[in-house]
Amino acid sequence: MLQAENTLFTIVMLIYFAAMILYFAFIAARREGVAKAAVALQAAGFLLHTAALVCRGIGAGRLPLTNQYEFATSFAWGLCLVSLAFIFRYKFTVLGAFAAPVVFLIIGYAAMQSKEVRELMPALRSNWLGFHVSTAIIAYGAFGVSFVLSVIFLLRDRMKASGFLDQHIPDREKLDVISYRSVSLGLLFLTFTIVTGAIWAERAWGSYWSWDPKETWSLVTWIVYAAYLHLRIRRGWEGRAAAVFAAVGFLCVMFTYIGVNTFLPGVHSYA
Amino acid sequence: MPTVRKIWKFVSSMRFAIILLAALAAACSVASLVTQGQDYAWYAQRYSDRTAALILALGLDDAFHSGWFILINGFLCLNLLLCSVSRLPRLIERTRAEADPKAALRGEGGVRAEGVADPKAAFARLRMGKPVETATEDGRRALFASKNRIGLWGAWVCHVGILLLIAGFSLGQATQKQYAVYGAPGQAKAIGDTGYVLAIDDFRIALREDDTVEQYTADITVTGPDGRSEGAEISVNNPAALFGMKFYQNSTGWAATVRVAEGGEPLQEAILCAGEYLRVADKPDLVIDFNAFYPDYVQSAGSMPATATGQLNNPAYLYSVYYLEQMIGMNVLMEGEKLTIDDYTVTFSEPQPYTLIQIKADRFTGLALLGGLITTLGLLLAFYVQPAKAWAVQEADGRWTLRGESRKGGALFREAFLRAAGAEKDKS
Ligand code: HEM
Repeated sequence: MLQAENTLFTIVMLIYFAAMILYFAFIAARREGVAKAAVALQAAGFLLHTAALVCRGIGAGRLPLTNQYEFATSFAWGLCLVSLAFIFRYKFTVLGAFAAPVVFLIIGYAAMQSKEVRELMPALRSNWLGFHVSTAIIAYGAFGVSFVLSVIFLLRDRMKASGFLDQHIPDREKLDVISYRSVSLGLLFLTFTIVTGAIWAERAWGSYWSWDPKETWSLVTWIVYAAYLHLRIRRGWEGRAAAVFAAVGFLCVMFTYIGVNTFLPGVHSYA
Repeated sequence: MPTVRKIWKFVSSMRFAIILLAALAAACSVASLVTQGQDYAWYAQRYSDRTAALILALGLDDAFHSGWFILINGFLCLNLLLCSVSRLPRLIERTRAEADPKAALRGEGGVRAEGVADPKAAFARLRMGKPVETATEDGRRALFASKNRIGLWGAWVCHVGILLLIAGFSLGQATQKQYAVYGAPGQAKAIGDTGYVLAIDDFRIALREDDTVEQYTADITVTGPDGRSEGAEISVNNPAALFGMKFYQNSTGWAATVRVAEGGEPLQEAILCAGEYLRVADKPDLVIDFNAFYPDYVQSAGSMPATATGQLNNPAYLYSVYYLEQMIGMNVLMEGEKLTIDDYTVTFSEPQPYTLIQIKADRFTGLALLGGLITTLGLLLAFYVQPAKAWAVQEADGRWTLRGESRKGGALFREAFLRAAGAEKDKS
């Protein structure tokens, strides 16, 4: 099973890479057919990625969500899932072109981690931990999409109007609402993540909130996105300022994910 | 505007909320960079004397309990409370108005589509439900429908949830009690000053095939001052609640039975956990300190004692002996070896794991949990139950002018609305 996962993982990485190239080709050549192929390829990669995660779950005999490798590959999966959902829901293929490099970067990061399957210490054997991490994956995926949308928003502002742009990238107002949708999806799931994490910590350690750096940074992330929601409904702050804010929010997400383990001490450092 | 009103307005404003949120985010990030709970010497060694002094002066060594952190949170609560109270009447009014056809027909807002042949079909496309028949003030036929009004309450519910969450957390921090009791099976110890006694009936460590620990499990019995007792099995991730306290299997270590004999006659016997000491019964100035235990002892020249595995292959006990507060000896004793001090002989044997049980009483955990759930519910309502309304007025030519409004839906609602109206335009 783990061998199968290994093979699938490599194939998935290649497919994501190919999809990224196709997306770029679509932007360069401006051909509809290429865009369709890129989305199809990304969707195929996503299905195989799902299969890879299932294999690892069966091989390890638990949810594949407990170490840096597993979380990184799941993060890439979550980002792929949410970006595909937004591509289909809002008929927004160009989103894929900007999301694909981020997906590829994250799965590349996963490839650099140790793939060893280790047994779990007793505190980590909890259903709440499963909910905690799976909701985090959706939250991170949604925040990744909101980051990509911010980049698109800011770039669109700088580009000259053209037929291609108007046809394939929604106008400012619509981009703003789609970005709001992705942030709200992310914030809802981040709230699930924090609540289930607190419930798990209460059962495992007897304290549901102990200001451990990872907890603190997930709270900072939560507050930054809450501030985004409030800024957005104030006149003069929607659009550009909100887009910058959503991008900053994603930097917090990445710091919570990678920076905290690397730079700050805490109980989460085994994760 | 009088100053008091101005202050009230600011303190309950969203602008103040944003400032407070920014301050809170900044405070948390700065605090996370400084290792908490150390003393001056520690910071001075890590950074510099100046920085250490600054850290202590700003309370950054215990930032999350410092005055300024509590102040920010206090203002946040005040802000949330005032904003929730002051917005309530308007919210009730808006919820009522949202379902009021007269208000919609009178107003000028919303998206507009003219020349619609079948407005009911357009309502259905927008999933607006069955519209009610009504009439404009000048007597034309009109239709009206609204949906998801409860979504208007999302932000309000979320804010109240946050208030409860902060209240539950703060009250818990202020009133909670924590104790720790450790011991080997067969031992019973007092739980702090509560008057309750915790007996450890059994303690088991389940190992996997590769010797990694799968689970730690303890059977405990708690007896109250009135003699009533309750028992439970606890393991990591499965605490038990007894007498209003919660019991957690926290960690483990090694204990051993220490026997002291005098002139060959047994004098005393006790179970000591590593780190504990014993005073010799008839010579209290003589103290045997059980420093550490090595289940699979290895000694390489010049290095510290160590254990090769977690298995009981070669048990060894590190002890030290004190007389009149002076250390008179320290060494490693193997299983079966005797330590002789004058007329006394000391042996260590029967090594067994002891358990550390953490005990916590926090009556406000439930309130904080409730706050968290209400916050989540509020976010669900705010994001996924989007209020919308649509109404139609029949014009002189028999066709309808359709209008619709969804504040949250913005550009997406407008698009869906125009698509739905457009589809019902050309049919006749
Ligand atoms: C600290 C004091 C706070 C105040 C005074 C405040 C105030 C407000 C106000 C006036 C609105 C507009 C409501 C509306 O248009 O219906 C709002 C919306 C909202 N607030 Fe707050 N807020 C505070 C803190 C928070 C926090 C910490 C969160 C955490 C997530 C939050 C979440 C929301 C949400 C989700 C909305 C709805 C936004 C939307 O749906 O676009 N608020 N808040």
